[in-house]
Amino acid sequence: MVRVLPAGRVLLAVWAGKLAALALRALGRAGTHVPGLIARRLHPGILAGVQHPPRVVVVTGTNGKTTASNLLTEALLAQGLRVASNRNGSNLAAGIAATLIGAVDWRGRSRADIAVLEMDERSAKLVLPGLAPDLLVCTNLTRDSIKRNAHPAYIAWLVSSALPASTELVLNADDLITSSLGTAADGSAINPRTHFAVDRLPTDGTRPSGAAVDVQICPVSDHLLEWDYWRYNHIGKAHCPACGFRSPDAAYRVTSVDAAAGTLGLDLAGEVLSARLINDNIVNVYNEVAVAATLDRLGIAKDGIIGALARIEPPTTRFAEETVAGVRLVRQLTKGLVGVACSRAFAYLASFPGRKAVVLTIDEVSERETDVENVAWTYDADYEYLAHAGVERIAVGGVRRHDQALRLAIAGVDPARIVTVAAETDAAEVLDLDGADAVFNLHSVHNAESTGNLVQARLRERLRASGGPR
Amino acid sequence: MTRALTIEVLYPEIANLHGDLANIDYLAQCRPDARIVRTALTDTPAFASDRADLVYLGPLTERGQLTAIERLRPHRAALEASIEAGVSFLFTHNAAEVLGERIRNDDMGYDIAGVGVFPLEAELRMFGRYSGKVLGSAPEAGADHPVVGYKSQFSMVTAPESLPGFLTAERGVGRSTSTAVEGVRRQNFIGTSLIGPLLVLNPHFTRGLLARLDPDTQPTLAHESLALAAYDARLAGFRDDRRWHPFERVTAQPNDEATRASPVSASTKT
Repeated sequence: MVRVLPAGRVLLAVWAGKLAALALRALGRAGTHVPGLIARRLHPGILAGVQHPPRVVVVTGTNGKTTASNLLTEALLAQGLRVASNRNGSNLAAGIAATLIGAVDWRGRSRADIAVLEMDERSAKLVLPGLAPDLLVCTNLTRDSIKRNAHPAYIAWLVSSALPASTELVLNADDLITSSLGTAADGSAINPRTHFAVDRLPTDGTRPSGAAVDVQICPVSDHLLEWDYWRYNHIGKAHCPACGFRSPDAAYRVTSVDAAAGTLGLDLAGEVLSARLINDNIVNVYNEVAVAATLDRLGIAKDGIIGALARIEPPTTRFAEETVAGVRLVRQLTKGLVGVACSRAFAYLASFPGRKAVVLTIDEVSERETDVENVAWTYDADYEYLAHAGVERIAVGGVRRHDQALRLAIAGVDPARIVTVAAETDAAEVLDLDGADAVFNLHSVHNAESTGNLVQARLRERLRASGGPR
Repeated sequence: MTRALTIEVLYPEIANLHGDLANIDYLAQCRPDARIVRTALTDTPAFASDRADLVYLGPLTERGQLTAIERLRPHRAALEASIEAGVSFLFTHNAAEVLGERIRNDDMGYDIAGVGVFPLEAELRMFGRYSGKVLGSAPEAGADHPVVGYKSQFSMVTAPESLPGFLTAERGVGRSTSTAVEGVRRQNFIGTSLIGPLLVLNPHFTRGLLARLDPDTQPTLAHESLALAAYDARLAGFRDDRRWHPFERVTAQPNDEATRASPVSASTKT
């Protein structure tokens, strides 16, 4: 293949980006975003102009895009490929530009075999037309920040309207919003596509529940869908009893999950193999099959895929568990302002056996001093998980403690079990630990360091002093 | 004597964004005896065939708005008759826009007629979402307990100034950034873009609404002390000048008498 070297303005932007990256690194900074900003300022079309590696893969979605793109990068590196990846940097247009600039030499020639680029889904309009990726992987599209993301159908429209028709899509068949990407108004496919899915699991149901079920009706007939299996939110497999519409068939499927053995059954386009279960969180099971599907579409041999899945490191989880004086102390990161993420955290908490005590400090810190947090997102979250399942005490700390307490009460938590305190750290003081089999510290991303650590330390200290469950 | 209330929720399978169905969950907890009728897209609305004390429609996607228009259009006469007869309606977020005359969305490529009950026109800008706060008094709760709520929307609405609003914003913007008149009100129909959810965030307003729905019953609020504590804390925040941003101010239009007559005193963030 003959490669056309970039024109002068592109090269100028590349040099500026590279020099900026060098300068930032000399100052001890990562330099994963600003070089792209500078290059885009000099040449707004730099994403199209900079020479791309021979293959470009974009990974996007509401949840799992970081994990899936990291897993994919590791798997491709293990194949001996030179991979350009933004896994340590920004997933916005500037970060992607910085990654591509970092992957070319000073003459503008690509030094990578493939690019794996995580993309913030709201950046699609700025990224996709110029980048024109060969493959776009979408893990899922679920509710996110009301302010930034509106609703998942909006994000699907953003991505679809920016997609070049040549891009092949690797989509979650168990998510009817994701699988609608790259289709025309009549539902016909514009982009070539392949799908992945996770077959029915023992924990699945057939009747959706919860506050955030974004697909309930058939897109063709408006009739209520029937679910072959329903997992959470709008994730599952559905069909329309009125018109025959159904979820797409998936060529790549997890056929079984054996958490105890650490394995899963993987159907790779007709060939069923046993693979290592990298992580048993369901979102990560989807990530694993998405990665396997993408590797297959990239032409990696199936035994190479299974081998890669056996070797890659598990993703960093959002929870940590320790046992203190015989009591399980569980620290769990949630995402304030994102109801569905909190629902998954609450569901995980509910899955623990025994009597539970909970510290809840999930205010959105960015709104504390200069705004008044819109708590509508808490009604997109299923606090109902905390109303039962042995949750005996909840201590709520923070500015929006009264809102949180009201939300818990509306969810069915007995108000007598709720204690509110103004200071987040005081929640660790007032929580009654007596008789608890498990104690949970649920905090948000922003306060992990500021108060999450202190709460954790104080809970640990109190459990040690108590001598354990009585 | 307490009588059973009938609360109709229109199209909950599509009108369920932003946690706003909690408006109905909360009402149902305030009035556990209420009959909640959930009308699916394939059903005939109760207001058109039976009796409803309150009809609710919640936040919709853009496609959901078009679907709701299609489903409600055949019932326009029944809607208007119900409104004139004093039936209570609560349409939140972008739901009232479907009863307007037109919804224009250049970014998504449509410009369609609404049900036509109100002289409203909505224009959606899919790359210009507006998020902000609103504070203003409504007769259901009085000036001592102003309504607090949030906007997070793609649409701005234009309407004649003669069309009464749900409230006039003391702070924050109304139907659009150029007016403090927020939402629409006719008889007992309330349309408002405010989310939060409105009835959860505003216990005094909810009490007033319950009293109107059933004047013979002393209204009772679920989790009253918690709801009042949350309201008081939020109101204190809304009264704090530092928490208001320049974009939350009404931008007066040169020929807009109503806007000039109702200046908004929101200060800039310091």
